[in-house]
Amino acid sequence: MAETREALQNDDRVELRFPARGDLIVLARLVTSAVSARAGFDIEELEDLRLAVGELCLLTLQGTDDGSGDLCLRLRVRDDAISISSTLERAAASEVSPDNDNEENARLSEQILGALVDEHGRESRDGSVRAWMRKRRGGHAE
Amino acid sequence: MDQEFRIEERTDASPPVVAVSGEIDVATAPQLRECLHRVVAGSEASVVVDLLGVTFLDSTALGVLVGALKRCRELGGDLHLVVTDPRIMKIFEITGLTNVFTITDTVQAAGA
Repeated sequence: MAETREALQNDDRVELRFPARGDLIVLARLVTSAVSARAGFDIEELEDLRLAVGELCLLTLQGTDDGSGDLCLRLRVRDDAISISSTLERAAASEVSPDNDNEENARLSEQILGALVDEHGRESRDGSVRAWMRKRRGGHAE
Repeated sequence: MDQEFRIEERTDASPPVVAVSGEIDVATAPQLRECLHRVVAGSEASVVVDLLGVTFLDSTALGVLVGALKRCRELGGDLHLVVTDPRIMKIFEITGLTNVFTITDTVQAAGA
């Protein structure tokens, strides 16, 4: 079957907004796979990004009420890298204390991101939580 | 298309086997947690979790498996995993969990 997918151009951006529920993180994985493929990442990098973006979303939702607000995923292809951020706006108002299981899961998420992408981080500011990551093509983070 | 999430319990086996297929993520992990909680509670020793049919798992799934392992060990048993897919094994490797779980490539090798 002929390959008809169009490549993304440098500095192209894609944005996805969905209710901040864990069961919808699959949408972030699907979009990230599609965008990464069009940005020229190989199959192993695609799998890494698919897993990593799920962890990114989980980290964003960490310690917040499931389903409160929208999660906004922003993907940007620039030169040989893809940058992805996941933002939950107005999260602080509904923030809850993380329990031991959540802390353990967050530690695992951080480990997975640390192994699969080149840079990543998480910040809370002005009532919003934002987690981000960046991965270069052809540069395995491990 | 991704394989549908399924859990099959083989509690007549010794040790009992929980075979999972499809994607284990934050949406499906609670079903696995509930199943493992029940099987571990009814088991006299070890439990085997067959992940041969799993196409994806995330940190939530790892958390469920680690929790079940702790409960097994509290009861004097162990939790054995069966994994062959390199993509799934990679997740255990990068989180250091290959040093925590006993991982084999067949259910028979896990003792079932």
